[in-house]
Amino acid sequence: MGVFVFLPLVLPLSAWPVARLAEGHLHPRTATRLLTAVAVVMAVCSTLCLALLMVVGTAQLPGNPLPDGWSDPEVRAAVPHDEVAGRVAIPALGAVAVACGRTLWRHRRVTRRAHRALAALPGPTVAVLPDSTPYAYALPGGRGRIVVTTALLSGLAPAERRALFAHERAHLAARHHRHLLAAHLAARANPFLRPLRTAVVYTAERWADEEAARAVGDRRTVARAIGKAALLSRGTPAPTLAALAATGPVPRRVAALLAPAPAARTWPSAFTAVGLAAWGAAAGALMSAMSSANSAVTLFRILHSATPL
Amino acid sequence: MVRDGGRARRRGQGELEGQVLGALREAEGPVTAAWVQERLGGDLAYTTVVTILTRLLAKDVVARERQGRSFLWTPTADVARLAALRMRRLLDGERDRQAVLASFVTALPPGDEQVLRALLDAAEPGSVNSRKTAHTRDGGTED
Repeated sequence: MGVFVFLPLVLPLSAWPVARLAEGHLHPRTATRLLTAVAVVMAVCSTLCLALLMVVGTAQLPGNPLPDGWSDPEVRAAVPHDEVAGRVAIPALGAVAVACGRTLWRHRRVTRRAHRALAALPGPTVAVLPDSTPYAYALPGGRGRIVVTTALLSGLAPAERRALFAHERAHLAARHHRHLLAAHLAARANPFLRPLRTAVVYTAERWADEEAARAVGDRRTVARAIGKAALLSRGTPAPTLAALAATGPVPRRVAALLAPAPAARTWPSAFTAVGLAAWGAAAGALMSAMSSANSAVTLFRILHSATPL
Repeated sequence: MVRDGGRARRRGQGELEGQVLGALREAEGPVTAAWVQERLGGDLAYTTVVTILTRLLAKDVVARERQGRSFLWTPTADVARLAALRMRRLLDGERDRQAVLASFVTALPPGDEQVLRALLDAAEPGSVNSRKTAHTRDGGTED
């Protein structure tokens, strides 16, 4: 199967155009789900591929505990440059495991510490914090909590505050943190999936924006709330907010809200240029995922047949 | 005052800070650390209470005055302020919290500010005639 063994490692590159198209043309809800699913499938395939390569690599090490058949010439022939690939795969897989473990651990730690910080406050869902830094977060876990500072609230008109709360409630209700976490883990598993993570972060925000627009009944109010909030936080010296700079291009969200609501139909028609591109890109992503899986299965079979029973 | 019906759970420092501050706020006036310790149910060591009070002093949410050989403590902020401080510290310390916290506010890269202001100006009521269109399309945003 030659170089196809390595395909799952580089195929995530093909998801980039899908991410671009989905971001721009699909309903945010569809885009978030699609991109998360593609990211997870590709990350799993890529990690599986690394694991199998690592097995081939490890089997060649003297004194390894693996079956002797795994270091047979037939197995090694399945992997081009098997010596190098096997040796590189070992630290690579280790790095993936460490990175994913750290992401999960951080996720748990931040959630736990944030809940603990708010434990003494009354009110089951909304926590208003007296703070001069404007920020708002949807904190998952349990029934979820909306954290918002007085600085942000005081900068918004009543209708815009409703939009803000509707936005955060949408995050909690649709459990966006699961999509975000999945996308983050996928990006840790294969760095080529980073654009998908960025896209998911953006589409999840857009999804919540659209939900808020529906709840408030006025797209412009939501647009103004987002815009004002971003301008409020602009001058804050806190490094926290600067670190979020990559999160999402606010002007794009505002512009999207000022435009008509996106079509709720799941897929654009295949007969428009956009539809054709979106369908083509989605099919490409599916094919990459399939061939990732195929390569992984093939390698697995070769190893399986080489295993003495 | 062990939470959760006496389930023996180790309480985090932050949780204790909240409880100590809460106790101080329930007091009629300035009180001693021993009063706080008694108020919290006595399962905390006296030194722990003093440590926490000192930490709260450093955060500027309590004040103290000397009376004889001990200090009298008064709260200067409420529980919400303490929670805000702790949340800030948490956010400042975490670089990778996007995986956890979906945020409403995102910082603007310098160039984006102009674009955003222009967009918002265009969105002001009365300045754009596409308003009606946006409204009618709203109704069509179905699942």
